[in-house]
Amino acid sequence: MKTLLAMAQFLQYCEQMRKGEYLGNFDLMLLLALMRLGEDAYGVTIAQELEAQTGLEVVVASVYATLDRLQERGLVSSSLGDSTPERGGRAKRYFRITGAGIREVRGAQRSLMNLWKGLPELRGEKA
Amino acid sequence: MTPKQPPRMATWMLKHFGSGSNNDAVLGDLAEQYVQNGSTMWYWRQAMQAIPVSFFREIRAHKVTAAKALLTGWVLWILGGMLIFPVAFYGTNVGFEFEPSHPIGSLWSFMWMPVLGPVSSYWSFPLAVALPLIVGLVCGWLVGRWEICAQRQPLSIRMSRVQRDQQTGVVLLFAGSILLLNLLLAGPFVLTVGSQVAYIFSGLLAANVAASVVGVLFGGGLFGDRSRIANS
Repeated sequence: MKTLLAMAQFLQYCEQMRKGEYLGNFDLMLLLALMRLGEDAYGVTIAQELEAQTGLEVVVASVYATLDRLQERGLVSSSLGDSTPERGGRAKRYFRITGAGIREVRGAQRSLMNLWKGLPELRGEKA
Repeated sequence: MTPKQPPRMATWMLKHFGSGSNNDAVLGDLAEQYVQNGSTMWYWRQAMQAIPVSFFREIRAHKVTAAKALLTGWVLWILGGMLIFPVAFYGTNVGFEFEPSHPIGSLWSFMWMPVLGPVSSYWSFPLAVALPLIVGLVCGWLVGRWEICAQRQPLSIRMSRVQRDQQTGVVLLFAGSILLLNLLLAGPFVLTVGSQVAYIFSGLLAANVAASVVGVLFGGGLFGDRSRIANS
């Protein structure tokens, strides 16, 4: 029974991959950053949060490109905010994770936890 | 106190060549982060990466519009070339020769007619620049504003407006396709005529290609005053 469920889950994952619906690494990181930032999630804060957590430089334009794609899938929503002189009078675009986005993150978390379980390499037992 | 100003050239390039409705927000974010703690190098890196990232995102998101823009652009380029080049070379033996057995040679004779035609050296440079510039300007202007649409019932072909936030992407795509085709044609040309002959034409060919691309970008409105594109 367990094997059948695992196979069904695997097939479902393959189908999602084929449709381009699965969450990539960067997609997942962005959704988690939105959850951490809450109301204050816009380009600058999202990039800073990702850089602080991963230590890697983030291309701001790729944050927008990915969030646009996630918005098309209904996983995030966006709204225009205020502008400041230091932004050259340009408005901020705030992003929020939707209910569907949270469900998707939970699903990815479950799948990853299942995959991580029982791997000796990740417990530092093997190189 | 006036806030620290980001590098003007990088801002200009991103403002004019960045695609999509998020360009304004990206410019604002970069300016804000630059004021807070960004270096000039960091700003340039972000701005130069934003141009291809936003371009490919736009093309991926609007594949049909991109395909239509390419079709529109090349149909217009061929029509423009067929109308303008023969007029410019009226009374000479310069013309376009289509040989099915040698498609690459046919493309050379069409694309590089103003360069390879046996005109006097006095006129060769102005023609090599002016003709593709004119065709590029007209094609770029039309590609940035109109696209060919086919309708099934009743069967007809009509032109429809390109959405404003998609203009930059489609114009860049068409200009890029011209550049790519010329680069692809250059290799066989050097192999066929030899490097010494190709070297003689290299300056004129480079000017010809640059004029074509600049014409398309200019006609497409990418060098003009880019009033802010409203965020959707």
